[in-house]
Amino acid sequence: MVGMSEIDLNLIIGGPQGGGIDTSSNMISRSFAASGYNVFGVREYHSNIKGRHSYTHLRIKKERPRSLKYPVDILVALDADTLFEHLDDVSKGSKIIYDASFENSELSQARMIMRDTSRRIKEKLNAENLPNNVKGVLAYMEKRGAKPLKVPFESIVTSVVKDGPATRYFNTLGAVITLSIAGLDQKFAEEGIRAVFSNKEKVVKENIAVVEAAYKYAQSNSMSGSNLEVINTKERMLLTGNDGAAIGKLMGGLRFQTYYPITPASDESSILEDHETVKWIASEEKKLKDSGVVVVQCEDELSAITMAEGAALTGTRTATATSGPGFSLMAEAIGFAGMDELPIVVTLYQRGGPSTGLPTRNGQSDLMFALNTGHGEFPRIVISSGDVEECVYDAMRSLNYAHRYQLPVIHMIDKNLANTTDLIPEIDSRKVKVVLSVQTMKQEDFKRYNLNTENGISEMGFFGKNIFWMTGDEHDELGHVTEDSEVRDQMMRKRFRKLETAVAEIPMEDRVELLGNPDAEVTFVTWGSQKGPILDVIEDLKKEDVSANLLYIKMFEPFPSEFVEKVLGKAKIVIDVESNMTAQAAKVIKQNTGLSISRSILKYNGRHMTEDEILKGTKKILEEVSSGKKIVNEVLVDGA
Amino acid sequence: MAHNFKTDLAIDWCPGCGDFGILTSITQAMTELNLGPHDVVAVSGIGCSGKTPHYLNIAGVHTLHGRSIPYATGVKLSNPNLKVVVTGGDGDLLSIGAGHFVAEGRRNSGLAIILFDNAVYGLTKGQAAPTMELGEKTKGLSRDNMFGRVNPIALALTSGYSFVARGFSFDMKQLKELIKRAIMHEGSSVIDVLQPCPTYNNINSMEWYRQRVYKLEDDKAWDPVINQENKSSLSQKYQNAYNKALEWGDRIPTGVFYDDQTLAPFTKRINHIVPSYLENPPAVQVVSTSDGYTVVDPMKTFADKIIK
Repeated sequence: MVGMSEIDLNLIIGGPQGGGIDTSSNMISRSFAASGYNVFGVREYHSNIKGRHSYTHLRIKKERPRSLKYPVDILVALDADTLFEHLDDVSKGSKIIYDASFENSELSQARMIMRDTSRRIKEKLNAENLPNNVKGVLAYMEKRGAKPLKVPFESIVTSVVKDGPATRYFNTLGAVITLSIAGLDQKFAEEGIRAVFSNKEKVVKENIAVVEAAYKYAQSNSMSGSNLEVINTKERMLLTGNDGAAIGKLMGGLRFQTYYPITPASDESSILEDHETVKWIASEEKKLKDSGVVVVQCEDELSAITMAEGAALTGTRTATATSGPGFSLMAEAIGFAGMDELPIVVTLYQRGGPSTGLPTRNGQSDLMFALNTGHGEFPRIVISSGDVEECVYDAMRSLNYAHRYQLPVIHMIDKNLANTTDLIPEIDSRKVKVVLSVQTMKQEDFKRYNLNTENGISEMGFFGKNIFWMTGDEHDELGHVTEDSEVRDQMMRKRFRKLETAVAEIPMEDRVELLGNPDAEVTFVTWGSQKGPILDVIEDLKKEDVSANLLYIKMFEPFPSEFVEKVLGKAKIVIDVESNMTAQAAKVIKQNTGLSISRSILKYNGRHMTEDEILKGTKKILEEVSSGKKIVNEVLVDGA
Repeated sequence: MAHNFKTDLAIDWCPGCGDFGILTSITQAMTELNLGPHDVVAVSGIGCSGKTPHYLNIAGVHTLHGRSIPYATGVKLSNPNLKVVVTGGDGDLLSIGAGHFVAEGRRNSGLAIILFDNAVYGLTKGQAAPTMELGEKTKGLSRDNMFGRVNPIALALTSGYSFVARGFSFDMKQLKELIKRAIMHEGSSVIDVLQPCPTYNNINSMEWYRQRVYKLEDDKAWDPVINQENKSSLSQKYQNAYNKALEWGDRIPTGVFYDDQTLAPFTKRINHIVPSYLENPPAVQVVSTSDGYTVVDPMKTFADKIIK
């Protein structure tokens, strides 16, 4: 039987934190991937260990998806909270899978829902005279055309698994019913199980029994979709942004990573800890001993950054990873790396600020801070990634820049991207070279800060090989403290000359890109994880005969001013899209080019931007533009 | 000819400063240990003690206030073949850097930490530092010290340092020997060096210390060493060290309080999880092929992420 393959499936699977949501979304992703489809997903969760609402929003297509979309086609609720939280995320034709055990739950019992969220849900139900309970919320969603599908989770599980609590398999069951509804062959669900539980015999066996029971139940209760075509694909990797950065760092020569636990950055370090032993490429296997990367969990971020800088003194390629609060603590040491010309990479995972802010939610509000971290003036490079593949290659480039120009590099990744799951084609080991620092051959009279250098780059020496000194004070060529006024001027100029060298050497396409028709009617400007959704919106607009392009900024320091000025100078309708309140990238553009962007789509509620809401925002702006308005600031508010 | 461990820079410590005795003891220790110029490095924080690396003719870094320990740890863990000497004041190590001081005891990376203990912040004009007694009023203070005194020996023991000692900057013979043992100790060591600040601490003067210090090693029964043979004596020796740590006032013990040679240093702990770490540490690893590409195979290293 020939199946269908042109699907565009958006789904949310939600449940209590600690209830295995991550595992079930991984199961769904791996099962679809095994049958050749592409999967893209984002994980949303509370700053909580157990109980509060967490969910994954997934999109499955034959082509590679690069954004998410509301409303979803399938909502899987492993608890009542999920139904309440996502009441507005479904519409006509959406299927809602929920466990029969909580069909009589009351909203007032859902104590893990934030009080204000609960109040809002209540208001919505009351407005339609619906009871404040699961029945009410299901009716609310049914009124919008969604179809609730009650599934007796417990009895399905206990029919095949006899020992242990049945709830342990609810996440598998929810995932598998979804796969069945989507029309995926049972064998791919089983493959997904094996991949997720990495062939742990007993667990795999029990879960596969649940798969069989679930498919059987689904078949006899009309929850089986029409057969999905199987697509032949090459090997791919299922990676998050955190994974991508970790892989890129290792490829870029990272051998020493420090960190202090913080969301959403520490996943990257955990991944490195899980892959401490590095495997060499075939041509080097015989030459190189088994070895790996040292990962040190530090006592705080002051230690994380300074320990990494200490390791850089021996010639080791080092980095740390953190988020806003930790980055604030690192400020002084980033200045030290600037002053002392130390190659160091900080992967800065942005979350909602200020202060502790929204620890587990998205944000892009640290751009101005990254550009201005630390007192005094020193050169730095600030780059940003917008998708999982970029995380890989940008992490490599970051280490290269740090070593080539001997300065701190801040690599920015937003939480949304850190927690994005993407299925990416093979990683290309030869896409980005490994650039080493210029090392001295001198044994005697080595001048670490030799001023006699046109490009500002002095030869490096390393502890254990050369004798030289370093100090956070202004210093002479040997690295000793000086307050000499002339040397001060020379050193300041030498340090900043390196940025001019960087501008001359780094290809423009690694700094900024104009994606799409250069003569388009609408020019979006963005950075970070909005790249994907905007590219999808550009396709959507094309269908409505509106041509749009994207000025996508990757490097903020040194800023690609000329390129940006040229593009914006001739652009017609410019819309800046960012996940912050004050349009920070637009400010940076104005600072560097003098050009103001008067229209923006902004979001700062901590949730990911979706294709549909950017499209909606764009249309609204275009309407206002045609009615002659100049400054239009659209604020997006979607997301549970 | 043996390496000259002193640079030719003009030293700008005050005349009579205890730092001179520490500097000389360090260079003598390095010479007597027969260390090569590239075998040992110096790391400091901020303050008068922070200038020490500039006066040592070895690779040295004068870092940020309070951060000498993590910088030094980074050096040591990326290249465990190096001997790493940390020079820091009591303000630097026990106030602004106190968190790192405690954490390093837990790590036991293999640093020789020399604590320049003069109870004042000299370079900023004599404010009270963590080892000054509560209620004392040295001449740089406008009012009595409102903070209690931290006990560096007891704190080092509590934090887990495997070598804890005290020296006196005017007894260079003893101090030099302590520094030699600290440098050669496999784990991390702390030497609390009592020293006067002749400019700002008019209470804890050279004479004040001279009248009080006595050497633990003068008692022939004093044996602070724990090795594989006498490992069962560890808790008794730890307690002995603690009792001596609490002695302060009329009589102040100097010498080795505690020397546990059995506690695995952090470098060995890493070696358990990262293959060939000790023989092929991060600092010497090859990271690129001869034609400039990565040596890491991402697909093989992250095989668990592959979907076939």
